[in-house]
Amino acid sequence: MTLKDRKDKFMEFWNEYKKVKFGLVGLAFLIILLLLIIFEPLIVPFEGATEAWSDIAYWQDYPQNSRPVWTNFFSKDKRTPSVILEDFKETELPQRGQVRFFEYEFEYDYNYDIAPKDMILRFKGDGKPFVTISIIRPDGKTIDLIRNREMIISSIDGARVSIQNNSGANAYNFASNYESAENLSGVARDRIDVMPVIMSKADVGITKGAEALKGTYTIKISAILREPQENIEKPIITMSGAVSGLMGTDNQKRDLFTGIILGIKWALLIGLLTSFVSITIGVIYGVICAYFGGIVDVIMQRIFEIFYGIPMLPLLIVVSAIFSPSIWLLIAIMGLLYWVGPVKTVRSIGLQIREETFIEASQALGAGHFRLIFKHMVPLLLPYTFASMALLVPGAIVAEATISLLGLGDTTIVSWGQILNSAFRGGAIINGYWWWVVPPGLMIAITGMTFAFIGFAMDKILHPKLKSR
Amino acid sequence: MNWKYIIKRLLLTVIVYVILVFIYSVLFNSVLERTIRVQIQEKIQAEIMAMTDMPSDQVRNYREQRMKQEYDRYELDKPVLQRILNRTKRTLTFDFGNATHMRSKTGEQNAWTIVKETIPRTVILFSTATIINLIIGIMVGIKKAQKAGGALDKATSIGTMIVFGMPAWWLGMLLIMFFGYTIKIFPPGGIQSTPPFDGFRAFLDQGYHMVLPVITLVILGFWGTSFLTRNVVLGTLQEDFVMSARARGIPERAVLYGHTLRTAAPPITTMAVMSLVNSIFGNIVFEGIFSWPGMGNLYFTAVQQQDVPVQITLLAILTGMQLLALAILDIVYGFLDPRIKVGGRR
Repeated sequence: MTLKDRKDKFMEFWNEYKKVKFGLVGLAFLIILLLLIIFEPLIVPFEGATEAWSDIAYWQDYPQNSRPVWTNFFSKDKRTPSVILEDFKETELPQRGQVRFFEYEFEYDYNYDIAPKDMILRFKGDGKPFVTISIIRPDGKTIDLIRNREMIISSIDGARVSIQNNSGANAYNFASNYESAENLSGVARDRIDVMPVIMSKADVGITKGAEALKGTYTIKISAILREPQENIEKPIITMSGAVSGLMGTDNQKRDLFTGIILGIKWALLIGLLTSFVSITIGVIYGVICAYFGGIVDVIMQRIFEIFYGIPMLPLLIVVSAIFSPSIWLLIAIMGLLYWVGPVKTVRSIGLQIREETFIEASQALGAGHFRLIFKHMVPLLLPYTFASMALLVPGAIVAEATISLLGLGDTTIVSWGQILNSAFRGGAIINGYWWWVVPPGLMIAITGMTFAFIGFAMDKILHPKLKSR
Repeated sequence: MNWKYIIKRLLLTVIVYVILVFIYSVLFNSVLERTIRVQIQEKIQAEIMAMTDMPSDQVRNYREQRMKQEYDRYELDKPVLQRILNRTKRTLTFDFGNATHMRSKTGEQNAWTIVKETIPRTVILFSTATIINLIIGIMVGIKKAQKAGGALDKATSIGTMIVFGMPAWWLGMLLIMFFGYTIKIFPPGGIQSTPPFDGFRAFLDQGYHMVLPVITLVILGFWGTSFLTRNVVLGTLQEDFVMSARARGIPERAVLYGHTLRTAAPPITTMAVMSLVNSIFGNIVFEGIFSWPGMGNLYFTAVQQQDVPVQITLLAILTGMQLLALAILDIVYGFLDPRIKVGGRR
């Protein structure tokens, strides 16, 4: 077969394929998925998220179990999205002896109904300065969130302060000026939800979800540095939103959109590699059965029947439980288990091809077994092979997801099954965190659909008789 | 009737089954023996702890003696191959031994007893779902074949492909989340309410608990059934004998249900039986999601608790069921369609 022949063959196939509308839709989906993989670094909002996916420290400034940002369009009460405040006004007050005084002022426009989940301050620098953090509300009232506390800043990690965890008592004192005694008795001093108190109108009900106080808040940080070698720089404030990212966050504060995007390449890898390995084995196995016939066929058919009798998924689960395989080993095992699918059909097609005259002719010309099988028989089976490969991809992806859901998968990768596993364990179903359960499963279904469209389109070209009556 | 063929087919099934059980025994051997060794050690340690005033050399003697006894009992001192073969033999004679940690509802340790009580629950759930699925699927499939290329045919074909790669357990999760926890009209899991009812109400209660899992299975299942039925029926409708039946003036209904469906019966039966068998062990996780106390759920728990005897028992039973189903199908095929002589000499 020359190159031109191949090109003609391909164009012939493509002309047929073009006529199948859902085949084109499947191809379009596949291209979108591939583009998402190629441009992954540009799409993913977090750098280095692949390595840091199971690193709790990496995600600690983000909110826990937050809804996706776009849910604000559909709800009456707007939730605060996550935002990072980096612009500040720095003033250095006159030095007193060795002691230096710095003040940083951040401005935050608050126009939402439901307060953020936390406000986190980070500093770089070195030493143990005394820090006071206060917030000036739009109604002119000031709350001291942290009063003159010694803050240990390490030169490597800096320092991190979570207002939700550190300002309970101060928020309680502020609220007790306005709240009714009855409401206040139901709130524990150290258990108070800090952020809603800071960002609600100073009135009765401030601890029980009073109306939000909208406007510009000023967050003031003053630091006292006692030693000359001490320094403080680059303060950053992160508002951990009540809504976050395109697909929300999970209970380990990870951005789910990032996880979904990172999962695409693993899903395609698992699906394509598994189906390639197993269908290749199956097709060659079937062809050999058909070509040699006789005793070879009988023995190989018996071996096939043994494999055919194995319940695949239970065995796969057992093997994963015993060997706790890496993703590559898992793909190899799946490839070796799922090859039985095409054998019967390939064998019956192969039996027909074997009787064709051109096989006899090449035999007469002295072609060997290898040449006959791989040059003459296998190429005729290629369309069927590709269709089978496409149709096996969804099964392989679901199998990996199932293994992962059971907690037996490769935990070093970010796959959709792993996300669903953590959702299942993290109580997403009971608590109704739909944004944690729907997208990964939907992606599995969409990827499966993509390959089903492609596979069925090829199938339709192969069996034109079934198109219509 | 071809007795020779039936016997040959059953014999083959038995041979394949023996080989598979042997493979499972090889696979599980090291894990299982590790567990047994740990158990023996714990047991002897406990015995020694109970005997307070015993000199240390006597303790050593006692330990060695007991070790030997126990190793003898579990055949741990025999060669590896013999141990594996013995285990294969025991599994084949339904002597599955005791579970490591798990207990049956009545507190028994025997692995077979534990597995036995889950089988009817699984069968009831999946056979109900499969029957509903087949009724809807075959009805839709016939309609599709009658107007092949029509709007219904196209729409359901697209539907088949959309649900093709959708995991049943994921749809189950969504339905539980919505119907079980958000609007709370169906129980989110389990097989009966707590406290359980008696008599007829218990039956109704179980049916109520089955609604959600059955709906999930049917929503995902009937597309494939209808697609296959359509292809089979459509293939038959193009045969000459259908044409001649129509030419003879036989009404279309009779052509469809009498001539066509009878010819299309064997592949549809295969599909029905295989979809039942496949759904049982294709849905191990499914039962876990719905906390339906069947075989899948047991397997799920056994894998997580690393209870190997229960796993082997379940695998042996499931494999036996699948092989038996395949064999029966092959034999029944001969009755349904005398043209087919599976395994006959060409």
